[in-house]
Amino acid sequence: MSIILINKKDVKEIDFVENTKIEDILKNEEIPIETVVIKQNGETVTEDEIVNDNDEIEIIKVIYGG
Amino acid sequence: MTDNVCTQCGYEHTVIHRKYNGQRLCSSCFKKSIEAKVLKTIKKQKLVTKGDKVLVGLSGGKDSVALLKILNILKEKRIIELEAVTIDEGIAGYREEGVRIAVDVANELNVKHHIVSLNDRYNFTIDKIMKLEEKEEHPQNACTYCGVFRRQIFNQTAREVGATKLATGHNLDDETQSILMNYLEGNVNNMVRIGYKTEARDKRFTPKIKPLREIPEKEIGLYVLESGFEVHFDGCPYAHESFRMEIGDFLRKTTLQHPTIMYSTLNGFEKIKPSIKRDYMKNNTEKPNKTCIKCGEPSSQDICKSCSFIEKIHERLDMEE
Ligand SMILES: [Zn+2]
Ligand SMILES: [Zn+2]
Repeated sequence: MSIILINKKDVKEIDFVENTKIEDILKNEEIPIETVVIKQNGETVTEDEIVNDNDEIEIIKVIYGG
Repeated sequence: MTDNVCTQCGYEHTVIHRKYNGQRLCSSCFKKSIEAKVLKTIKKQKLVTKGDKVLVGLSGGKDSVALLKILNILKEKRIIELEAVTIDEGIAGYREEGVRIAVDVANELNVKHHIVSLNDRYNFTIDKIMKLEEKEEHPQNACTYCGVFRRQIFNQTAREVGATKLATGHNLDDETQSILMNYLEGNVNNMVRIGYKTEARDKRFTPKIKPLREIPEKEIGLYVLESGFEVHFDGCPYAHESFRMEIGDFLRKTTLQHPTIMYSTLNGFEKIKPSIKRDYMKNNTEKPNKTCIKCGEPSSQDICKSCSFIEKIHERLDMEE
């Protein structure tokens, strides 16, 4: 299973196993959760959300630094 | 999944999990909670009184956009008058977007908007100054100049439009950073000036208020996005590694494991502040009771910091030609 992770101009496909939270993906990608807002298929979600196959996860950085 | 249910209204899609109080909120309840919290701060700390004319420093960044939107609630209730000022520092490829967003937001909220460009007022831009600084052995940061000129223009505009309060978008992260920085640097004089209302050192300065002081920075970003506003989240090209940034990163990382840490930093500081003031500020003599001979602003010297910067920059620019 895989998702598309969009972080500004950086777009990539990431494979994941079942029951993975967005939080786990961000940690793996070394994106500091405390500085971003997350959209899952266009809808704002919390980092607790479980990702599904073919999800589009967009990261919007709202704090500089970190 | 029970995890994704709004603790306020039961709606089954949440946009935030506030670890500091356990709330999970849907978009609508989240926005309402931010507005209610800010209005409560304003009331509790008596930041505005009926009839105040509030001038907002509107950069076009998330904090000032959120601030204008929330203060607009008080404008629509005819409790305050509201105007906004945007400073165009002249940073090519970066500032234009912020200024454009500021124009759009002020327009949308029907708020009278003033734009002051550094180039029109002083005949130079931050870009020009930074070109000069490149040649220096120990170049100054752009922030030094921006900060000084911004303060002067805010104060002047506030007086020109007859504003009784000057509101800035400082958030919980900004404030706890300032508190911690001043503790660590042992800067007691600066420390006691941090507050909901900035203690005016001179009656001729318009009092400054910080209504967003209890809102975490990330929540302001979320509030602006959920409100459908366009915000430019890009950093300034002249941003540099600063002590503030280090402290900000430290505080945010600490918050992950200790979710209430910024609130306890702020509240603890507010508790001890009166004592610090009483015991340490007796001999505070640096009140600016002179008047700058160049611009007429209150100043501790004959020429204020901003005007002395302006003079030096013009000298350096003249030498270039
Ligand atoms: Zn709700
Ligand atoms: Zn002056």
